[in-house]
Amino acid sequence: MSGAFIPAPAAHPSTYTPAPGHRYNVGDRVLVKRRFPPGHRRTPYYIRGKTGVIERICGAFPNPEELAYGFDGEPRKVLYRVRFAQQEVWPAYRGPDRDIIEMEIFEHWLEPA
Amino acid sequence: MPDQQPNKSPQDIGGEKAGPIDTVDHGMKFWERQANALRSTLTRAGIVKTDELRRAAEDLVNNAQLEYFEKTTSALRTLMIEKGYMTDQELKAKMAEIRARFDVPDEMESPIKKGAKRQ
Repeated sequence: MSGAFIPAPAAHPSTYTPAPGHRYNVGDRVLVKRRFPPGHRRTPYYIRGKTGVIERICGAFPNPEELAYGFDGEPRKVLYRVRFAQQEVWPAYRGPDRDIIEMEIFEHWLEPA
Repeated sequence: MPDQQPNKSPQDIGGEKAGPIDTVDHGMKFWERQANALRSTLTRAGIVKTDELRRAAEDLVNNAQLEYFEKTTSALRTLMIEKGYMTDQELKAKMAEIRARFDVPDEMESPIKKGAKRQ
């Protein structure tokens, strides 16, 4: 991370829907898988391979990568909001190190960092 | 970002130079309102899902050349054929019939024509 500042997650993050059996907790550092499979993928290309922190557990939802092909999206996947430092995401970023970007990423795209 | 960018799709534009953004509201053309109503109806009826429409739009070979409603309508066409509600032949026959009815020249650009996946 070369000193990039990752702010602390919100003290009381909300949970939208129950997500039993979630693998990660608020504050955990996660690495977005650096994979480039074909098909409809719900993880932005530019965030793959980047490290962030779980900001909240959003809930468990039908998998959109399966819904996209006409299947029912079961079993549901846990969705997290992940916080990244802009300086981590964009190597040439010139803004202050407190600048962040948050995005929602499904559990199967994350691994422990 | 890898040197080679496998399976990079039209929607994977985050971080790329976008140029100036047109912020003028161009409104909706008549056919766009109709097409949007059809998409909305089919979505509400559970016949197509938003995720499917996104996938079908991303997969359009000429995605970059199409405007927003051309993409969504072409994606709708893909799904209706995929799900067996109509065949490509039936759609083409109907389009020819309607063109003839309204005396529309065949060379007129249509989203279906531009967005059609070659079979």
